[in-house]
Amino acid sequence: MTATAGERRKPKGRATALRAPFHALAQRIGLSGRGLVVAVPYFWLIAFFLLPFIIVAKISLSQMIIGRPPFTDFFVWSDAWLPEIQAYLDNYRWLLQDSLYWVAYLNSVKIALISTLFCLLIGYPMAYAIARAKPTVRTLLLLMVILPFWTSFLLRVYAWMGILRNTGVVNNTLTSLGILDQPIQMMNTDFSVYVGIVYTYLPFMILPLYATLEKLDGALLEAAEDLGAKPWKVFLTVTLPLSLPGIVAGSMLVFIPAVGEYVIPELLGGPDTLMIGRVLWDEFFSNRDWPVASAVTIVLILVLVIPLALFQRHQAKVQEREA
Amino acid sequence: MPETLRARPEKHQPWLDASLRPYIHIDAVTKQFGEFRAVDRTTLEIHRGELFCLLGASGCGKTTLLRMLAGFEHPTSGRILIDGQDMTGVPAYDRPVNMMFQNYALFPHMSVEQNVAYGLKQDGVRKPELKQRVGEALEMVQLGPWAKRKPHQLSGGQRQRVALARSLVKRPKVLLLDEPLAALDKKLRERTQFELMNIQEELGVTFVVVTHDQEEAMTLSTRMAVMERGQVVQVGTPSEIYEFPATRFTADFIGSINLIEGRVKRVEAAGVLVAAPQLGCDLEVTGATQVREGQSVCVAIRPEKIAVAPNAEGAGPEEGAPNAVRGGARNSVRGTVRDVAYLGDSSVFRVDVGEGFLIEVTQPNLLRSLERKVDWDDAVVLTWRADAGLILTE
Amino acid sequence: MSQGIKRGLSASVSAAALIFATGAATAQEDTLNVYNWSDYIAADTVPKFEEEFGVSVNYDVYDSNEVLEGTLMAGGTGYDVVVPSGSFFQRQIEAGIYQKLDKSKLDNWDHLDPQILEQVAQYDPGNEYGVPYMWGTTGIGYNVAMVEERLGADADFDTWDLIFDPETAAKLADCGVTLLDAPTEVFNTARQYLGLDPLSTDEDDLQAAVDLIMEIRPHIRYFHSSQYINDLANGEVCVSMGWSGDVFIAADRAEAGERDVEVAYTIPREGATIWFDIMAIPEGAPHPDNAHKWLNYQMRPEVAAENVNYVWYATANQDALPMIDDDIKNDPAIYPSEEVMESLFVDLPQEPRFARVQTRAWTRVKTGQ
Repeated sequence: MTATAGERRKPKGRATALRAPFHALAQRIGLSGRGLVVAVPYFWLIAFFLLPFIIVAKISLSQMIIGRPPFTDFFVWSDAWLPEIQAYLDNYRWLLQDSLYWVAYLNSVKIALISTLFCLLIGYPMAYAIARAKPTVRTLLLLMVILPFWTSFLLRVYAWMGILRNTGVVNNTLTSLGILDQPIQMMNTDFSVYVGIVYTYLPFMILPLYATLEKLDGALLEAAEDLGAKPWKVFLTVTLPLSLPGIVAGSMLVFIPAVGEYVIPELLGGPDTLMIGRVLWDEFFSNRDWPVASAVTIVLILVLVIPLALFQRHQAKVQEREA
Repeated sequence: MPETLRARPEKHQPWLDASLRPYIHIDAVTKQFGEFRAVDRTTLEIHRGELFCLLGASGCGKTTLLRMLAGFEHPTSGRILIDGQDMTGVPAYDRPVNMMFQNYALFPHMSVEQNVAYGLKQDGVRKPELKQRVGEALEMVQLGPWAKRKPHQLSGGQRQRVALARSLVKRPKVLLLDEPLAALDKKLRERTQFELMNIQEELGVTFVVVTHDQEEAMTLSTRMAVMERGQVVQVGTPSEIYEFPATRFTADFIGSINLIEGRVKRVEAAGVLVAAPQLGCDLEVTGATQVREGQSVCVAIRPEKIAVAPNAEGAGPEEGAPNAVRGGARNSVRGTVRDVAYLGDSSVFRVDVGEGFLIEVTQPNLLRSLERKVDWDDAVVLTWRADAGLILTE
Repeated sequence: MSQGIKRGLSASVSAAALIFATGAATAQEDTLNVYNWSDYIAADTVPKFEEEFGVSVNYDVYDSNEVLEGTLMAGGTGYDVVVPSGSFFQRQIEAGIYQKLDKSKLDNWDHLDPQILEQVAQYDPGNEYGVPYMWGTTGIGYNVAMVEERLGADADFDTWDLIFDPETAAKLADCGVTLLDAPTEVFNTARQYLGLDPLSTDEDDLQAAVDLIMEIRPHIRYFHSSQYINDLANGEVCVSMGWSGDVFIAADRAEAGERDVEVAYTIPREGATIWFDIMAIPEGAPHPDNAHKWLNYQMRPEVAAENVNYVWYATANQDALPMIDDDIKNDPAIYPSEEVMESLFVDLPQEPRFARVQTRAWTRVKTGQ
């Protein structure tokens, strides 16, 4: 946002009479046209990220009570004209004391990391193939990547239950073909969770990868080959490093939501699938402990999401300088 | 080939030595892209140490031919031999050729040094040697101080030199250059042309250059091939191509030329007499090719080979009357100046020789004078020697 | 329906939809916003009510007490009638979420079963805040053929051994044993099975229950509160700790399905949880008058009977009994015998500290930590 000084007067020039009052108003509140455009994302961030974050942070510093809402007030209005602040760090202490949370965090990170890796391994060749396809085919392939989004996410997860369960498509086919005597237990295992997460987040990996691979100058690959690099060497020394921004962006888009994933482990996972999202649910609903649930969230954001976001910003800047 | 045209007899001209085996042999190569035939049964022989240009308009197949030499495209039929070795089935990374790409294709994530070292690393060249050779290559293109820079921190000319160093550091048998100067501005281009020629001469590497710029081809090449619609129309030294174009296309493509349609009137001992109704006079051409009487031909005359002089008798061609110089003189025609372009070193005149048929004439401005001897709307006489014209049958 | 957890996502979605809907509805006088369990009312109860009273009803559903509570705790929901279960209800009264009923507007009150009112008074002293709606038990749903195949034709179904005896559970593990994801209910039942006080808040007793479940845990396919309905019906699992009505739904679906699956429900003789769902009016409900009309309407014997015949749960309305189908009335799984009734126990809310210890223990049990 650009703040213009009060004295600053631009010559009116050919501005019509109708536009003039608007200009005056915009100047008075310190907004130029460009400032307004820049203000929109800031407004978005403040309204939909910062404010909720502050509210949750505030709850995380309160204590649980039976009441509506089920936590103590942050500001207590006593006789003095300034409110007293009541903040407790107990909830954070509680998180530190109980290994359950750390186990859950680490397990979430592990599941998210492995899922991201698989998304990358599956998504990279797909993105590569799409980027190298003929333009007409490319549009179609991209459409097919995006197509699942037109169906409800829940329906798709339920579909996987139908595919993976003991009497499901896979097991039925394999047993009726005589390949299996007994169905393999796939549902309610870590395997099904990985399948669910990788399936759901794959498009988020493919799209940024496609965007960078599509921009990749084919002449660079030819130059490398011309200089004596075999195809796999071309890939390792040119394609891969140049698609790094896509890899970073895609991995972030998969990793961050996967860490906090709740629905997929809940529906597809087994009892062993301990993820922070489920712990959060338990704290919020089973224990009705909104403050601890908020503390879990705040820690998740501060420890995982913000460092990653900063890292990605840094990466993006480095890439921008080189482009 | 006329004896008189061996311009630089002291210079090495391997293509004239029948005992020498060509270094690159493109043997009846055809490349088909679906319905489109990009290269059509082309045969070319290029010798060691040549700076050979492939010249043609865009879409003529010159780039496809170059890419087949590099190994990025594979001939639909025919074969390519380099130093006697059949390149069919040899992948690009195994070929003894390197390419300098049109937009240089420098690796943006590597420094200048790393870019140049890339090819050597692929060959497993060891550190000390690698360092030395990279250093030498950068020295050659005067980029030593910029070794640690990334490509985006360099100017266009510097990038071009990095690309050159990168493609030469492997000491290829053949260097392919795809429009090497197209991305540079005019001044830089002229300077770089000579740099390229010097480097080529120094290293003795065979250069194959693709260009659409005829001036560039004329300056650079030992020999060049003019291509049209997938076929090589003519191969020769720049002067051969300029002075003895084989076809109307080549004649028209390289420099300016006056093309005059006519019919062979008589074949004499010294030359051929062609009747040219457009001019209203007979054209005498010596040193002509095989023609027979009555054949339709085209006489090509370069503008600088025509002399222009004021017509003492004043008037231009009269309506309906033959405008040839009285007395049935050959290679002489009257006309009116329609256009004058003063270029400093020379002037170009467009002279109407009747019914709007324009003849272009270039005269060097030998005298320092502000006055024009010949000006707009002046009546002039154009004359040229019998050996100035060339008979084209194709 | 139950006091346990039935994690549902569609419920929160519809709740959000309703918040938007009610924004417009408040301007209109003759509306009523009802938030009830899914599949918990006869198909024509709402239309008939609308016709008789000229009130248009926004009827929304949830499938978990937790979702209902989360919505109510946030405040300002715009609902006029909600249907929490016993122990949740008690805590919510404490939190001041509900308004007292105006009994002068509820002239059908006397149709209610005094015994059930007495039970519900444990949560709501003096029955000041809620009208008992239906009740049920938490027992075992099982696939008859699959269990017989593994335990023999003379297998004893009427015991928690099916789940809590390690040897039996091991035999059934391959066809799928499941537990509800409802800590209080599972721990209460485990304590009861061990011969302890089911409502004990003693940490040693809790540890004993944890040890018992840890022992059978390797044989548990999953902990979930609604998944088993479909899985029982499809033969995907064979023994589930479940809520009576849900198991009946599973049995019904199994019968309708193409697979030859027979699902049955049992209240084990060691004792089981009995639970009550209660209709109540939140504080700040926009249409309290219409809410009372609705409650009074639901207490009419013929309306209550219609609902029972539709959803197969036992009603708190004693005068409805003559109009209830014999199939339901005589089913001991729905209307248990005097003897079985004796063995049932309610669950009361635990004090928060113990609740937390128990929930933590539950998380450990579930994840095998």
